[in-house]
Amino acid sequence: MFAITYRKLFLRIAATVVAISILLIGGLGLNLGIDFTGGSLTEVAYETAPEKSELETLVANKNWEGGYSVRESIDDAGRSAFFIRTKDLTETEREALSAEVTNIGEGGEITRFTSIGPVIGQELKDKAGWAIAGVVLIIVIYVAFAFAGIGTPVSSWTYGGITILVLIHDVLVPTALMSVLGYFLGVEVDVLFVMALLAVLGYSVNDTIVVFDRVRENLIQNRTEHKKKQAAGTVREEFEYRLTKPYEEIVGSAVQETLARSINTSITTLLALTVLYFLGGSVTQTFALVLFAGVLAGTYSSICIASPLVVSYAKWQEAKNSK
Amino acid sequence: MSNSDKQSEGSVTFLRWFRGLIVIAIVIWLANLVYQNAINPEAEHPFKLGLDLAGGSHLVYVADTSKVDPLEVTELMSALRDVIERRVNIFGVSEPIVQVESSSFVSDEPTNRLVVELPGVTDVSQAVAEIGRTPLLEFKLYSEELAQQQVALGGLESISAATSTTTETELATSTESDEINIAAIANLPFEDTGLTGRYLETASLEFAGSNSGRLANEPLVNVRFTKEGADLFAEITRANVGEQLGIFLDGELLSAPVINEAITGGTAIISGGFTAEEARELARNLSFGALPVAIELQSTQTVGATLGAEVLDKGVKAGSFGVVLIIIFMTLWYRLPGLVAGVALLSYVTIMLSLFQLIPVTLTAAGLAGFVLSLGMAVDANVLVFERMKEEYTKGSSSREAAATGFKRAWTAIRDGNVTSLLSAIILFWFGTSMVKGFALVFGIGVLVSMFSALVITRTLLLMLPDVKKAQATSLSKLLASGINK
Repeated sequence: MFAITYRKLFLRIAATVVAISILLIGGLGLNLGIDFTGGSLTEVAYETAPEKSELETLVANKNWEGGYSVRESIDDAGRSAFFIRTKDLTETEREALSAEVTNIGEGGEITRFTSIGPVIGQELKDKAGWAIAGVVLIIVIYVAFAFAGIGTPVSSWTYGGITILVLIHDVLVPTALMSVLGYFLGVEVDVLFVMALLAVLGYSVNDTIVVFDRVRENLIQNRTEHKKKQAAGTVREEFEYRLTKPYEEIVGSAVQETLARSINTSITTLLALTVLYFLGGSVTQTFALVLFAGVLAGTYSSICIASPLVVSYAKWQEAKNSK
Repeated sequence: MSNSDKQSEGSVTFLRWFRGLIVIAIVIWLANLVYQNAINPEAEHPFKLGLDLAGGSHLVYVADTSKVDPLEVTELMSALRDVIERRVNIFGVSEPIVQVESSSFVSDEPTNRLVVELPGVTDVSQAVAEIGRTPLLEFKLYSEELAQQQVALGGLESISAATSTTTETELATSTESDEINIAAIANLPFEDTGLTGRYLETASLEFAGSNSGRLANEPLVNVRFTKEGADLFAEITRANVGEQLGIFLDGELLSAPVINEAITGGTAIISGGFTAEEARELARNLSFGALPVAIELQSTQTVGATLGAEVLDKGVKAGSFGVVLIIIFMTLWYRLPGLVAGVALLSYVTIMLSLFQLIPVTLTAAGLAGFVLSLGMAVDANVLVFERMKEEYTKGSSSREAAATGFKRAWTAIRDGNVTSLLSAIILFWFGTSMVKGFALVFGIGVLVSMFSALVITRTLLLMLPDVKKAQATSLSKLLASGINK
């Protein structure tokens, strides 16, 4: 199986991707939206739009604390629109801004207005963090238990641990994409992004588990059972398993056998996401894009990272034990 | 083959067809039900659209519960919800939502919020103003101790200036004799009694009689407490005869009459130098209910109705195209079984939509996107089974045996994958804010329904297909083979 044979290459690629992702996220940062920081977002659409600079001067003249930003966009009816981000506006401030921005340009209309207090923003941040941590924890525990008893040559916790390593790779890639989009196009991280990440998380784990499930099945088919020598007085019988084929070959055939499934499921999912990106509303375009990156990363990792990593770990453990 | 074998073979085939047809009939019936519910505006279970799709306003208020006994917060918040709900009903909006939300245990300070959703109301200022008209009524006892502390702090001068406009008042049965100069007591040295607008039953406009000792025809507001409120009021007045009871409206001291005796009648009179118009307005506002605690607007969101409709339209289009593309792909790759998976996918969509209507799940732009995504992932269990089936079929099993083995072998993978997804959904539902909760719910239901569609519907339909072997090399046996390999 190519993924196992050239595992060093694939793992190096993965390590590079992870390193680049971390550098991008660290270097460019994430452009947090008002969902997290608090503030107001006014969306205004025009029949004939004014210049972006006109809007910018208008908002700048307000001298509101905390800065502002104006971003161009196209709304769902195809009109040109602008997102105006400001501090958390009060009712009077909101009314003043609405009146002024709809006055310039032609056919101006406020299509959406969102205002979020800083407390809610902070709370959302905390909750998102806890939710992701909780999901990760429960997955490691479940995988470790579901794979309990295949402890040859590596323990079930290893499979759980590797599922999480793979998960980190799969989540870092779309996050890096988001920080690039945020840096160059001003795209903001909102609650939808968190949901996209959570969906990637689910997809990634599912994908990895399918391969590991096949590894488990092949291991059971290719091992012989031997009774362990017992110390005097023990009642429980313990068994020792010996593999009839090299471990890497067993893992390799598992990857081979699940290859078509991994690719096909990612194709159907990517089809749905492509359609969502092109036909769906503008609100969910970034969601679709982020998920697309996540699913690609998830497919790569379930084939070229998860199993190769298990084999490398087993080899390393073997080398350590023989010393 | 003996005669009886043939007969039983025949009846088994009949049963398979029978089951398959029943499954298809149920799905078609359900689809029709969903369709009827969707097009009929007066349906009992229509789709419930979130504000971002239907257009409307979403307001979040935070309640100041810092001075309230933590044990009473829940009750207080539900009293608050009832009051605001009555207020909001003035709009005549169809299905306004007013709900209490408390911050989860992960945040440092527990806050209690009131979420108000007004579908169709895009004029936020009007909504905010209307809700803002809800009065906050509190009864507080004058506290000598607090007053002395404040004198010690030197705050009295500024306070006395602020309250000099307050006028005299009277409790229902008290007499006029002990009026004290209110300006001197200020509006701060008062202690909460727990008696608030929460215990209010009705309020009405009254005019002072000629023998009441006050200006004849002075407009007054007569408030009647609920049974609970009346008891509390009686208890407070009984225990504090001779003390002053301050009546606060929206945080400002209106009057502070002296309690002469226990008042058991359950009514109180609020005076404050009102004009007849002001008193009528206050009585009207109070009768809709008064706030038990102060609230503050924390966030607002408005979506125009046309924009929402546009987003919904696009979401539906994306979903439909997605389903068609996935069915085409599955049929091209897995041939006849792929087509069966297509039918199972349509059943998945039907069941999900019917659950959205029945539960009901509020559909948002995010929920719609999540649903489109789930279409791609819903066929996963089918793909797992078909890949296993293909292996067996290539090895020489008959198509039906291959299908049965395929389901058996793929089960552990389907189980483990879906259990982790389900666990994630539960955790998200637990931790999430309302928006994430909706997503988690759709995600969780999706996992269960996709498992059902693969394990029950795909299976039943696959077993309906005739039993052939790959070696027969007929067109049917080729149709049942799948994938691009040989």
